[in-house]
Amino acid sequence: MSANPEQPDDQVTITIDGAEYQASKGATIIEVADANGVDIPRFCYHPKLTAPANCRMCLVDIEMNGKAAPKPMPACITAIGDGMVVRTESERAVSAQRNVMEFLLINHPLDCPICDQGGECELQDLALGYGRGISRFTERKRVVDDEDLGPLVETEMTRCIHCTRCVRFLDEIAGTSELGALHRGEHTEIGTFVGRGIHSELSGNVIDLCPVGALTNKPYRYTARAWEMLSHPTVGPHDAIGSNISLHQVRGTVKRVVPRNNEAVNETWIADRDRYSYQGIYAEDRLQEPIARDGDKWQAMDWQEALESVAGRLKEVAAQDPSQIAAWVSPSATLEEQYLLNRLMRGLGSDNVDVRLRQADTRDGDSPSPGLGMPIAATEDVDAALLVGSHTRHDQPLLNHRLRKAGLNGAHIMALDTRRHDWNYELSEELVAHPDQLARELALIAAAMAAYVGRGVVEGLHAYTGGAEPGDNHKRVAQRLVDAGSALVMSGDAVELHQGGADLRALTALIAELAGAHHGQLGTGANAFGGWIAGAVPYRGADGSPARGMSVAETIADPRRCYVVVNLEPEHDCFDGAAARRALEAAETVVVFSPYVTEAMREYADVILPIGAFGETAGTFVNAEGRWQTFAGVGRPIGEARPAWRVFRVLGNLLSLDRFEYNAPDEIHAELQGLWERQGNPSNGGWQGRPAEPWLGHGSLVRAGNTAIYGTDPLVRRGEALQRTPHAGAARPTLSPATAQQLGVNDGDWISLDQGGPSVRLQASVDDALADSTVWLPAGLEGTAGLGPVHGPINIQRT
Amino acid sequence: MVNDVCYATLKYDQPWTLDNYYREGGYEALKRVLDGPMDRGEIIDEIKKATLRGRGGAGFSTGMKWGFMPRDAPGQKYLICNSDESEPGTCKDRHLLRFNPHALVEGMIISGYAMGATVGYNYLRGEFMKEPFERIEEAVREAREAGFLGENILGSGVDFEMHNLIGAGAYICGEETGLLESIEGKRGLPRNKPPFPAQYGIYGRPATVNNTETIASVPTVMRRGADWFLEQGRPNNGGTKLFCVSGHVNSPGVFEIPLGMPFKELLGMAGGVRDGRKLKAVIPGGTSMPALPGEEMMELDMDFDSLAKAKSGLGSGGLVVMDDTTDMVEVCLRISRFYYAESCGQCTPCREGTGWMHRVIKRIYQGKGSYDDIELLEAAAGQIAGHTICAFGEASAWPVQGILRHWRHEFEHYVEHGRSMVEAAA
Amino acid sequence: MQALREFFNSFLLVELLKGMKLTGRHLFSGRFTIEYPEEKAPQSPRFRGLHALRRYPNGEERCIACKLCEAVCPALAITIESEEREDGTRRTTRYDIDLFKCIYCGFCEESCPVDSIVETRIYEYHFENRGEQIINKEQLLAIGDLYEPQLARDRAMDAPYR
Repeated sequence: MSANPEQPDDQVTITIDGAEYQASKGATIIEVADANGVDIPRFCYHPKLTAPANCRMCLVDIEMNGKAAPKPMPACITAIGDGMVVRTESERAVSAQRNVMEFLLINHPLDCPICDQGGECELQDLALGYGRGISRFTERKRVVDDEDLGPLVETEMTRCIHCTRCVRFLDEIAGTSELGALHRGEHTEIGTFVGRGIHSELSGNVIDLCPVGALTNKPYRYTARAWEMLSHPTVGPHDAIGSNISLHQVRGTVKRVVPRNNEAVNETWIADRDRYSYQGIYAEDRLQEPIARDGDKWQAMDWQEALESVAGRLKEVAAQDPSQIAAWVSPSATLEEQYLLNRLMRGLGSDNVDVRLRQADTRDGDSPSPGLGMPIAATEDVDAALLVGSHTRHDQPLLNHRLRKAGLNGAHIMALDTRRHDWNYELSEELVAHPDQLARELALIAAAMAAYVGRGVVEGLHAYTGGAEPGDNHKRVAQRLVDAGSALVMSGDAVELHQGGADLRALTALIAELAGAHHGQLGTGANAFGGWIAGAVPYRGADGSPARGMSVAETIADPRRCYVVVNLEPEHDCFDGAAARRALEAAETVVVFSPYVTEAMREYADVILPIGAFGETAGTFVNAEGRWQTFAGVGRPIGEARPAWRVFRVLGNLLSLDRFEYNAPDEIHAELQGLWERQGNPSNGGWQGRPAEPWLGHGSLVRAGNTAIYGTDPLVRRGEALQRTPHAGAARPTLSPATAQQLGVNDGDWISLDQGGPSVRLQASVDDALADSTVWLPAGLEGTAGLGPVHGPINIQRT
Repeated sequence: MVNDVCYATLKYDQPWTLDNYYREGGYEALKRVLDGPMDRGEIIDEIKKATLRGRGGAGFSTGMKWGFMPRDAPGQKYLICNSDESEPGTCKDRHLLRFNPHALVEGMIISGYAMGATVGYNYLRGEFMKEPFERIEEAVREAREAGFLGENILGSGVDFEMHNLIGAGAYICGEETGLLESIEGKRGLPRNKPPFPAQYGIYGRPATVNNTETIASVPTVMRRGADWFLEQGRPNNGGTKLFCVSGHVNSPGVFEIPLGMPFKELLGMAGGVRDGRKLKAVIPGGTSMPALPGEEMMELDMDFDSLAKAKSGLGSGGLVVMDDTTDMVEVCLRISRFYYAESCGQCTPCREGTGWMHRVIKRIYQGKGSYDDIELLEAAAGQIAGHTICAFGEASAWPVQGILRHWRHEFEHYVEHGRSMVEAAA
Repeated sequence: MQALREFFNSFLLVELLKGMKLTGRHLFSGRFTIEYPEEKAPQSPRFRGLHALRRYPNGEERCIACKLCEAVCPALAITIESEEREDGTRRTTRYDIDLFKCIYCGFCEESCPVDSIVETRIYEYHFENRGEQIINKEQLLAIGDLYEPQLARDRAMDAPYR
């Protein structure tokens, strides 16, 4: 027991239940116990949250320097000391734990049979070990009114044991402090402030945290039991983080999604988008069998017939001019699907394949590869970051969580966009500029930075600054980035959607280069990086060979005769929904591969083939840090739907293409991995790759926006519960007070908006977070489908 | 009655004014301390020597507590005065604030200086909103005008500012860390210790929390010397103390007497038991201390050590005297009701246990109890004490355990006959 | 010695006489054959026959879809699907028992926290087509409704021993 002479200074030795353990100074008893597999019961303690020691379940017996502590101490907050002796199973410790358990149970209802937590309940589990067979409490139990927390989290507050994990989660992790304790003593209730509900984008995690059934999953409510579900590890299909999740299914039907621990990626949290979007798998508009247009009618057909027809149509166009075929594929399709589609297209002789549906500007051609440029876990240690056109909190919720940690630890997190966003922590600097001025702002930061690091005048920068001098804010941003030990400069969704995105990307790259910072570029989609690797971009093949195809933007601007559309709805998923629709409607042949069939598809498509939705397909996603994560499918796809990789494989055979004899996705994966590993690190466009001429701007009232958090892809748009949150629903075009006044619009007025096409009628709101002469109107919301480019001129009429 | 320390001004018509305080040697100690100024360690040694023990309930050595403060370390430090006097049976601080507020102000400045704190908060319970708050505010204003508060007090280079705050009426905010949370603007939930307030007190800075009476005693110690103070009381129980005698006595009131005075004498000061009845029980230090039988109490002296030996405590000095018409089960019911209502609800044993105890006692009181219920009550009290974050757990369990220890037969009578033993006797 | 005894026993037909004696005794003793189906054997209140789902006296189905019976069933004969009913209560949307799989062990009955799934005294039933052996919620409730008085009586009789 005496201190080991060879023990490092920061290590101490403690004895738990007779066994000696080495641990670092400052650790708590429960941490050491957990690390070494010693079981200490607990409710309020969670390794990712602060420990309030309020449940008192982890009381243990402690002896220090041969002197026993006068009272049992809570293991979750008691720091270890050298030579400490801990007894978790002594009579005093166990009796303290049993006593606490009795207190917890007196007011806890005995409704385990109807409680969704039953079978995976921490209270139930520990009651088995520490509870009494028969309660000594004969009085009436406490009953607490439930609260409506929104469409995602169901409450049964009578079951609450006041561990405050949910309160602490929303304070410390989500940063929204939406729950708190009201009243005192036995009447303590966990509730929202004035019945507001929980609107955090991470709210679903409180369900996992709740040790009892007080907070449960609302869409999942009463539909299955913990013990009957089979768990399938998979990866979140909506953002570039690639959160590790598990699908829980019963008899082939996905019942719920829960997080899987991965410290390097998502820690133990997942965003609500990953948790609830599974409802989209069972949407009513799932396509059950292949269908083809037959005059005005739609004809169901079997797969053989359908595929032969598709192969015939493609061959016909390819025989005349293969460059008349263009393929658009979702950035959330799997790596295997993207790769096979790429091979199909190249096999047909066309390089027109692209995953960058939301990239409006492709003047920079082989633009920087999507990705974060650094490990996700390392972002929580940055000293400064500049987020350009990224509402990271909604675009990449768990990246925002890491950056928030950094920010709370004193890092300077800064942002530049057309509006201030609703961040869940305080940014050091939030620059707001009209979309036309974003490049200028970046150039001024770059100029300030060049001066600060002594680089003098950077060639080409003058074209953007127009000779203006950097302001104090630009200098502050520049200095903080340069002075930071580790910094990140990242462009987001709004940069992709920007008509002058190439300029913004080049300037962002320049800033990163000058600051010696990591450079990231994150758009939407779970596998945008994968699309790049798979060669599903027009400028490079999967082997890294250069190509000269047409991007989505180019095939919209210069329509093709034949389109292949994979798992997307252009009116929502393309940067310019209206133009994309027009291009498809004008085409001779449109082949759609989609799990869903919409009215719009019936208008422009000729053949629609049902493919497996998320969860029904095996595959691989490559996340923002370049991590390849492979997952298996769960059960059979609905109806006649088939995993897309199988469909492409058969189509490849029908088109008599070489090397299309894959039997499983692993073979495709392995082949692609081989190709990828043979390539060096691909160069990122950078400042040298900037467009010859800066984009000049629209100079008029401009629509700006990003992709709404629950509007990023067809699956999440069908997530019924998510669509009922305040983050979804009808779009609210937002104007700055000055612009609103100019146009005579008041907050709450109904206005009609058009971008050259049909107009939509929406309710306006006025917010001083916005730059002037800008209408903030994100894509992927109800009412935005008929509109034109997310970034582009817009007309407003009061109605 | 001595009225030498905290109630020194009581003999005047308007005891709370600055002039009357001057007449009793007011602010002389402060001038002496600031003249130089005196070494901080010396003040603390003086307080230690006087064996001034905390008057709030625990009776911890004030000098030692002050010694925990990193008094010479740079950075802001705070002195907190706990005037959240909520213990049933205790009303001494209220009178102190009403009748001798300057003693507190002077004490705050000296104590603050001794610990290197330049800001003092005086946290009053919500119910003190009217007279006590107005008087202490007035006293602070007078002191500021006289140059005793603010920057560079009396040209000594010492700064001190004092603020009075009003709580919202929660008993738990009288617990020192709950009080700190409350001052910070949060729910008054006690914190886990360690860290102790002297390391992490308020706004992340060191702070020391002392009772009003403790601080108000400091000027006298410094003016008349530690030896004089110590002589007033007994070894290790220096000075005089305020006792609030209430209940079944002929003339209840607050009395300043030397520590160590026999209870018999104190009872005499309060005019003895009403109507000449027999003394049945006494709660010697506020309701959170276990009650003692009258006969035992008559043999005891009023100081910290004697009462601790009798398995009770001097606590805050709130004596509740009960004669032989008192039904101890009802007393127990009433006390448990208080702790049930005042539990903060943060940690499990107290949140769930206080309500349970109250209900079991109620059941016995209503004549529906059984012998098992008495066992259960004893068990529940034992399950709360020692398992909670703050001392509230003990405060709620001890009175129940104390009454059960001495008057279990009264509970049994209820179980047996469904009514009180006391009524049966009457 | 042993061999000698065996020799005499067989010589004197002792075994045969023993047999005859038994036959003779039963020839004149009372008859105990039950003439099924005219006559029925007596049944214990704990008899485990065909299943039923019970209701409360107010007509509300007892089953709360806790799925304990499904979990405990050693033959995996029970299949339950559940969801939230409009009034917010937890109810089954499907409750199937495959009577070919069922081994009539009674665990479902034991595990039920609300005395909903029970085994009746019925043991005479047959199926004419494949698939009929899977009885569903409606059928189970109908059986329960039909035999409720008997079921309630049986539970009451057994209650003191639980």
